[in-house]
Amino acid sequence: MASTFEIQIATPEKLVAQEQAESAQIPGKDGYMGVLPDHAALLSELGEGELSFSFGGQTKSYKITGGYVEIRDNHVRVLADRAE
Amino acid sequence: MPSLIDLRRRIRSVKNTQQITKAMKMVSAAKLRRAQDRALAARPYATILQQMLANVAEAASQSDAGEHPLLAVRPENRVLYVTVAADSGLAGGFNTNILKMAQRAADEKRGAGIQIEAIGKKARDYFRRRGYTLRASHVDLYRNLKYEDAEKIAETVIDLFSKGEIDAVYLFGNEFKSVMASRLTGKRLLPIEVPKSSHPVDYIYEQKPEELLGSLLPKYVKLQIYSALLESNAAEHAARMTAMDAATKNASDMIDRLTLYMNRVRQASITREIIEIVSGAAALD
Repeated sequence: MASTFEIQIATPEKLVAQEQAESAQIPGKDGYMGVLPDHAALLSELGEGELSFSFGGQTKSYKITGGYVEIRDNHVRVLADRAE
Repeated sequence: MPSLIDLRRRIRSVKNTQQITKAMKMVSAAKLRRAQDRALAARPYATILQQMLANVAEAASQSDAGEHPLLAVRPENRVLYVTVAADSGLAGGFNTNILKMAQRAADEKRGAGIQIEAIGKKARDYFRRRGYTLRASHVDLYRNLKYEDAEKIAETVIDLFSKGEIDAVYLFGNEFKSVMASRLTGKRLLPIEVPKSSHPVDYIYEQKPEELLGSLLPKYVKLQIYSALLESNAAEHAARMTAMDAATKNASDMIDRLTLYMNRVRQASITREIIEIVSGAAALD
């Protein structure tokens, strides 16, 4: 059991974040998804909203507009149209 | 034999040129670093998107929803060539190479309806001068290159393709390899050739794979155009830097040669004067 997973947030222009996280909240197209380590492989379109992830009690969040998320082998890859 | 003054003037003029080429080299080096950073920054997104698309396409092909319109291969009667070159010259063979390559590819399809989508002033001028049909031209993109620019181009191209006004779209551009070398690439943009997935993964799909594919495909086209622009921009500055470096070296060589020649001419005229004086004195004896 892994206790963390890697989260990558990329926009067409740059890699916004690449960090370890213990949990994440991702704005899917059909509602928010909670992600914990060892999540099953998943592909989804993203909606608009706040993506946040936490590690060691610290939480970071980005405003995301549209895109995709892929979860696989403890890697969460977020492809956002815009992320701030 | 040229006079001393002429030679001095020539040396001075070569020196001026050398100063310009040196300055251009420095400017290109600075711009190259920025362009290179941007091109590299865009790569993670591209890699992930490509993998995702490969997986989704595989999953979607197992459903019976039929082929997506952007994947439909039709006989290539009307073809659009998107050609990415630079806005300015003085970059060695940078523009000529890619434009010639695009032109050769277009000429093979002569007789069919060929249209050119020119990106960069050099591409526009080149094809306009040779009487090709320009569908559109985009200039002055590089100074402030934005994803939205690529998006706009991609959207019109996708629109034309889906309406059936165009049967295929090819993309030509320079790819940045290293400072010394760039690579010419020409590939089919539409209908999309879906990258093959190396490790198919069994995902949980929040949306239907076909739906996901429908929105991924246009994004893939946009991204390909965007990265072509970024790569071309980096390659352009690299090519200009190399060209200007070579020009600066050539100017140095030329200055050395001219200086040597000038000294020889000066020496010859001194010798001649001495001979004149000596023989004049001898005549008096």
